[in-house]
Amino acid sequence: MEKYIDNHLYDHLVNNSRSMLSVISRNYRYEKVNNTFCRIQNRSSGSIIGKTLSDIWGEETFHSKIKNNIDICLKGNIVRYEADFEVPLYGKRFFEVVFSPLADDSGEITHLLAETIDITDLKVSQKTIREMEEEFKRLETSIPIGLIRCKPDGTILHYNSSFSKIIENDERENLEGLNLKDFYKEKALFDLQIFHFENEKMRTFLRVPLITCKGKEIWCRISRYIVTNKDTNLPLYIDFALEDSSREIMLENRLLQAKKLETIGSLAGGIAHDFNNILSSVFGYSEMLLDEVKNNQPAAEMTARIIKAILKAKDLTNQLLTFSRQVEQEKIPVRVKEILEEAIGLIESLRLPELKIDKIYRESDAVVYADPTQLFRVFLNLLTNAVESMKDSSGTLTVTLDIVNGEIVKKESGKSIVADDYILISIGDTGTGMEESVMSRIFEPYFTTKKIGKGSGLGLSVVYGIISELDGEITVKSEKNKGSVFSVYLPVSYEYTKDMTVSDQKRILYLSGDCHESRILSSALNKRGFIIDYKTGMEGLAKIDGKNNALPDILIFTNDPDNIDSDFFYDYIREKNINVPVILITDYDHDLSKEKLINSGIARNVLFKPVSLKELLSAIQLTLNK
Amino acid sequence: MKGIMIVEDETEVREMLKIALVKRKYLVLEATNGKEALSKFKPSVIDLVITDILMPEEDGLKVIMKLKELKPDIRIIAISGGGKAGPANYLNIAKALGADEIVSKPFSLKTLLSKIEELLDSKQNQ
Repeated sequence: MEKYIDNHLYDHLVNNSRSMLSVISRNYRYEKVNNTFCRIQNRSSGSIIGKTLSDIWGEETFHSKIKNNIDICLKGNIVRYEADFEVPLYGKRFFEVVFSPLADDSGEITHLLAETIDITDLKVSQKTIREMEEEFKRLETSIPIGLIRCKPDGTILHYNSSFSKIIENDERENLEGLNLKDFYKEKALFDLQIFHFENEKMRTFLRVPLITCKGKEIWCRISRYIVTNKDTNLPLYIDFALEDSSREIMLENRLLQAKKLETIGSLAGGIAHDFNNILSSVFGYSEMLLDEVKNNQPAAEMTARIIKAILKAKDLTNQLLTFSRQVEQEKIPVRVKEILEEAIGLIESLRLPELKIDKIYRESDAVVYADPTQLFRVFLNLLTNAVESMKDSSGTLTVTLDIVNGEIVKKESGKSIVADDYILISIGDTGTGMEESVMSRIFEPYFTTKKIGKGSGLGLSVVYGIISELDGEITVKSEKNKGSVFSVYLPVSYEYTKDMTVSDQKRILYLSGDCHESRILSSALNKRGFIIDYKTGMEGLAKIDGKNNALPDILIFTNDPDNIDSDFFYDYIREKNINVPVILITDYDHDLSKEKLINSGIARNVLFKPVSLKELLSAIQLTLNK
Repeated sequence: MKGIMIVEDETEVREMLKIALVKRKYLVLEATNGKEALSKFKPSVIDLVITDILMPEEDGLKVIMKLKELKPDIRIIAISGGGKAGPANYLNIAKALGADEIVSKPFSLKTLLSKIEELLDSKQNQ
C-alpha cells in the first residue's frame, strides 16, 4: 500500500514538473518521458518512447547540441548547459539541460536522466535588465547633471562623469571614498541639507556654494534624495543631483545690479539736477554779496568761504551726474597705454617701499575714444583702491593691457550687443579682497568700506559712470585675503584719424608743475590741433619774458606751490607787463594771490580741479573769442 | 537799454538772475516756462534770452527753436543742471539748435554776466 502511494506520488511529481523529464538509454533512445515533455513536443508518450533523440530533435540538432553532452554524462558526469531548441508548441526557446547518469546495481551506467527546463523568460528579462542598465549608464554619463551616491555621512560611493567635470576633477582622480562634504564651502550646509529636512525624502537647494578641485568657488543647484531601509526607515544612501548654475546666477546678479545702479543713477541724477538749481541761486547771491562787502575784510572772507563750499558741492553733484551718465564727455582718440602709464607713474611717485608693480602689456597701440582726463580718473581710482587694499601698501600690483574679442565681453558681462574688439585693462592686487556681499555693491554711490572720512564713497560710482558712458564694461573678481582684480573693457576704436588739425593753429603755453593730469590735458590739446608748449617751473615762465620771444595766444597756468605759486606768477606777469590771456587751473582753496589774478583781469578764466577736457576746451574757446 | 528775458521754472534761480541783471541796468522780462516765454516774447524789446532746458509746458529746446524763427539774430544762453536725452546731453542739443552759449548749473554769476556782455557787444558790432 505504502509503495503504491509512493509510486503515485512520484508519478504525480514527475508528470506535473515544469521541466521536461526523460530517461535515455545508452543508444540515445527515449525510454521514459513525463507529461510536460509530451505536451511541449505535442506528441503522446507512445510516439516518443523507443524513438531516438535524433528522431525527436532532428539529426543536426542532435549532433550539434546534444550528443557530445550525453557522451560526457555517460562517462559518469553530471552535465549542465544552456541551449536553444525548436519545439513544436512554442517554436525556438531557451532551455537549461541537465544530464545525470543512472547506474544499475553493478554500478555500470546504463541510462541517463535528462531534465530540460524552459528558461526563455529568464533570459529575456536578463537581457532587458542588461539593456536597461546600459541605457541608464549612457544617460548617466551624457546628462550634464552631476549624480552622486553617498553614505549618510557623505562618503562618496559612486559618481558620474558630469560631477567630475563640474567639480573640475581634470586629473581624473578617483573621488570614491572622499567626502562630498569637503566640496562644500560651508560644511554645515551639507548637514543641514540632509538632516534638517529628514522628513522630506526629496529636497532641492537652489544656491549652494561648492569649492572645486582647483579651488574655484561655484554655485550649484542641488537636489538630494534619501534612500531609506524599508524595515528600519534609517537612511541607507543619499543620492545627489547637482547642476552648476554659477553662470546663470552671475548673469542674473549682473542684470540685477545693472538695474539697481540704473535706478540709483536716475535718483542721484534727479537729486543732482535739483541741487544744481539750488546751488545756482546760492552761488549767484554769494557772488553779489561778495561784491557788496568787498571793503569789509571779515565779511568778504566769510563769503569767499561760502563760495568755496558751493564749488565743493558742485564737484559732488558733478560726480553724481557722471555716475548717472548725464555728463557728456569730450571724446578724442586716446592711446590707452599712455594714460595708464601716467596713472601708474603717479602711484610710483609715492615711492612705497613694499609695493611691487608688475606691468604686462600685450598691447600698446590700442586707441579708444574717450576724454583722457576721465580715463585717467578711472585708472587712478582703481590703482589707488588696489594699493589701499593692501596692508601697509605691501604686495603686488599687477596691471595688464590686452585686446580681447567682443565674445569674451559678452560672456563676462552678459551684454547681448558688443563691439568687435575691446581693450582690456586689468588691475589686480594682493590685498584683503572682498566678500560677495561687498562686491555686489561697490559701484553704488556712498557704498564704502573705508573708514568715515577716508573716501567719498563716490570713486567707483564715478568710474562706473565714465566706463558706461564709453560703452565699456567693468567687472570685478575677488577672493577674501587673496586680492581683487578689476577688469575694464573699452571698445577699441579703429577709426583713428590722425591728429585733428585746425587751420588757424593757436599756440598755447601750458605752465604747470610736474603733474600727470596736466600732461594728459596738454597732450589732448595737442591732438586737438593746438600748438602746445608744455613747461614746468621757471624755465617755462622765462619763455614769456616779454622781449625776444613771440607770445603764445593763451597761457594755461596750473597753480602749484611746489613749482611756481600764483603769487610769484602774478608778480612776474605784472612786472614784465605781459599781455597774454591766462586760464587759471586751481583747487578750491581760497587765497589772496588767486583773487589778485582774477580781479586784475590777468586770469580770464578760472577752472577748478579736476578739469575735464571739455571744460578746458570751452574755456579756451571763450578766451579766444574775447 | 538792452532787454533780457529769463526763462526759468525755478523761482530762486529766476529771482537771483533778475536781481543781478536789474543791477546791471538791463531791462528784464521773466517767464516760468516755455509756453509763457513764447507768449511774452517781444522781438523789438528782447535782445537776449537766458533759458533753462528742463521745464514743464514746452521745454527750453523748443523755446530756442521758436525764438530763432521769430528773431534770427536773438542771442540765447541755455542753462541746465544736467540731464541727457540719448547719447547727447541737453546743453549740446541746445547748442546744436542755435544757443550761442551753454552754461551748466551751478554757474558763476560773474562768468555768466561776462558772457552776456560779450554776446550783446558782438550783436552791436554786427
